Amino acid sequence: MLVASGLVKHYGGVTALDGVGIALDAGEVHALVGENGAGKSTLVKIISGVVRPEAGTIALDGERVRFAGARQAAAQGVAIVSQELMIYDDLTVLENLFPYGAPRRGGLVSTREMRALAAPVLAELGLDPPPHAKAGDLPLADRQLLEICRALLQRPRVLILDEPTSALPRAAAARLAEVTRGLAERGLAVLYISHFLEEVMRVATRVTVLRDGRVVLPGAPAADVGLDSLVTAMLGRPAARAASGSAQPTPPAAAPPRPGGAAVTLTGVTVPGRLREVSLEAASGEIVGLAGLQGSGHLAVLDAVCGRARPSAGAVRLPNGRSPRSARHAVGQGVASITGDRKGRGLMLDKPLWENVTAVSWLAQGRGGPMPRRAALVERSRGHLDRLRVRGDVRARTGGLSGGNQQKVVLAKWLDAAPAVLALDDPTRGVDVGARGELHDIVRELAAGGRVVLIASSDLAELVELCHRVLVFQHGRVVDVLDGDRLTEPELSIAMNAGFAGTAG
Amino acid sequence: MSAPQPSAVPAAANDNEGPAAPRPRARRPVPDEAGVIGVLILLVLGVGLFQPDFLSTGNLLTTTHNSVYVGLMACGMVFALAMREVDLSVGGLYAMGIVVGALLIRDGMNTWLAVLVVLALSALVGALNGAVTTYLRLPSFIVTLATSMLLRGVGLALAEGKQITDLPQDDAFFRVLGGGETLGAPNAVWVFAAAVAALTVLFTRTRFGARVRAIGSNPEAAEFGGLPVTTTRIAALALSGLMAGLAAVLALAFFIAGDPTIGQGYELTAIAAAIIGGTPLKGGSGSVLGAAAGCLILGVVTAALVFFEVPINWTTFATGGVILVAVGAAPLLRRVRDLRPARDPRAGPAPRHVPDGRSPGRNP
Repeated sequence: MLVASGLVKHYGGVTALDGVGIALDAGEVHALVGENGAGKSTLVKIISGVVRPEAGTIALDGERVRFAGARQAAAQGVAIVSQELMIYDDLTVLENLFPYGAPRRGGLVSTREMRALAAPVLAELGLDPPPHAKAGDLPLADRQLLEICRALLQRPRVLILDEPTSALPRAAAARLAEVTRGLAERGLAVLYISHFLEEVMRVATRVTVLRDGRVVLPGAPAADVGLDSLVTAMLGRPAARAASGSAQPTPPAAAPPRPGGAAVTLTGVTVPGRLREVSLEAASGEIVGLAGLQGSGHLAVLDAVCGRARPSAGAVRLPNGRSPRSARHAVGQGVASITGDRKGRGLMLDKPLWENVTAVSWLAQGRGGPMPRRAALVERSRGHLDRLRVRGDVRARTGGLSGGNQQKVVLAKWLDAAPAVLALDDPTRGVDVGARGELHDIVRELAAGGRVVLIASSDLAELVELCHRVLVFQHGRVVDVLDGDRLTEPELSIAMNAGFAGTAG
Repeated sequence: MSAPQPSAVPAAANDNEGPAAPRPRARRPVPDEAGVIGVLILLVLGVGLFQPDFLSTGNLLTTTHNSVYVGLMACGMVFALAMREVDLSVGGLYAMGIVVGALLIRDGMNTWLAVLVVLALSALVGALNGAVTTYLRLPSFIVTLATSMLLRGVGLALAEGKQITDLPQDDAFFRVLGGGETLGAPNAVWVFAAAVAALTVLFTRTRFGARVRAIGSNPEAAEFGGLPVTTTRIAALALSGLMAGLAAVLALAFFIAGDPTIGQGYELTAIAAAIIGGTPLKGGSGSVLGAAAGCLILGVVTAALVFFEVPINWTTFATGGVILVAVGAAPLLRRVRDLRPARDPRAGPAPRHVPDGRSPGRNP
């Protein structure tokens, strides 16, 4: 029904798509899988017309088409539910369902007609929100389903679902899978993009795998493809062989010292909507990785340790036995919250380096008193920056530094606060390889010095290189713990994507 | 800006260099205030070119004296603006402070005690602004807009809509703060100068000032880093209120009457003065000295219009024009300054301090 062929797209020097083609037939659920950066989103954007390909064509029912955007695509019967929620939080549920103009009567919006049109579709997805509730007040899962409702209301012949279940709890994901199959049986062509391989296997009739902008498995019947061969196709190497054969960098130093007492412990911690009865312990000297897909709960652990998320049940204990009550309290108890979001949460880019370095120790913890000598602060900052080999003058504007040096400033600022616990979130995001290695060495050194290190990262290689063990999260729970020989990139990817049950069974 | 450094500034910037820092001193950038102060001096001289009488000491001091009230509010406003808040209540607070002070003194309270009451009350009201802003999670814009009307209403009601007169004119308070002079300048001007100096130190040198600037620069990072955002906000708005109270005390001493309708629109003039002085609305930085200079610029323009015999009904129009020109010119000047190539400090003795693109005022 919808056929794309020979699509090519470059971003700068990076090849996003290199001759990709895919054919969707009526009545099938066609899954599209691939690692981050394999080109899935680019393909969706090209089909919807948001991005123009450099070569290649898209044909609908044998006729060549080029959509100017999602709206025009919808008019031709191709509805797209994109990864990012496009819900207008301040509009009502009904208004959200008719973004391109509600049915009108006498020039005015007809609520009655909207409700009549929406009711069957809402019922089909098992949604029953008060129609005049604001969409922003609905739970996340309902908002995602609402978006799918909106697509269905356009009576599409082709439906593209880009990561439709990333924010859904298991029950809702299962319901959506059922609905998706039902839609296909009615003759729709569905393109289903998901990270959850198990789910893909349940829903899809055919599977296409992308890797590095190329199709490596074109439209194979899902029944013939096993989970293992799917992972092999995604990663480009068999999971098992990659684990033992490839030249791994020197594994992290032998088993960490485990002196009793000084540890971060979570016991039965529940954070509504994010964590469910998670228990874990990270000893001093240990580097513990937290992995998971977006919204799976690994970041909620960091938030709980840093006092930004209050558990509704269970307790978080810092090495000194206290529980963090707020972000400020946690900082006072020696928790460092080192983020890779330098611009948003990490730094004051318009300020000199020394003001950033002293922002926690002086401004938050109050060390130095109400009116210290500026020269002393500058000197202390210079010491930290020299030790971390930051290339930049202590009085230079922080925004002028490279990403790697900025990240070192974030680290310097927290080191100046003499932390006992380091909570790192994607600490080398957008940092060049050299600085990345230096930052890793610093983190290892800090751990060896007796600090507790918790690290979340979207860079799986980082977790594998750095951590003593990695906890894998799904749907707010720890589903797997990887350490020793099992701590490899492919194993981690499988654990994150497919889930513990999937690989074990 | 090629303006020479005004003598008032280097004191603040001098010990920037650590004792152990073997770095060339020529790196130090021209302070941002230099531009505004240069404009102020040029403006005074320009007016004096056509109206020599304008340059008489008496006239300049009177002009300064007239700017003291809004000037104090502008200096307090710097703290609010630098942390991305705004305090619209200072005009109403000013009027209420005058009325309350006048009533207390008329009813026989010791004048100096009344002064303390007014100051404490203004700081308290400012702190309440901050507390309401924080705990109701409302923008300070709307909270202080509301309190501004509340306060003005309280002032009007307490004074029953009339001026409060019959104050003991011979009391030391009115003699010293109202009519008194020291070294040829009105005491109110000295109080203003002292306030500018104290607040400059507070803003640039203390932990509180650094917190204000850090929160304004990146509120999310401040929250993440565990800065006491709430208490700092309350303190900053309390300070803004305190400055309005101080202005009220000086005005009461000078006018020897409590007029509940005084100070209409002062809050907006104070904000304009702070912005002219280089305090951006987006927060993160600011200049108390610049705000004072900005206020003097507005005062000079108002006074000059009288000299040029512009009809009184056109003064508001002219003030609006000046604000627009001044606010528009400041970023323009800054851009010109940043475009000038940095000079290699080792190339020889630089004739003047050359900004090297790292000046604190340069915005990304």
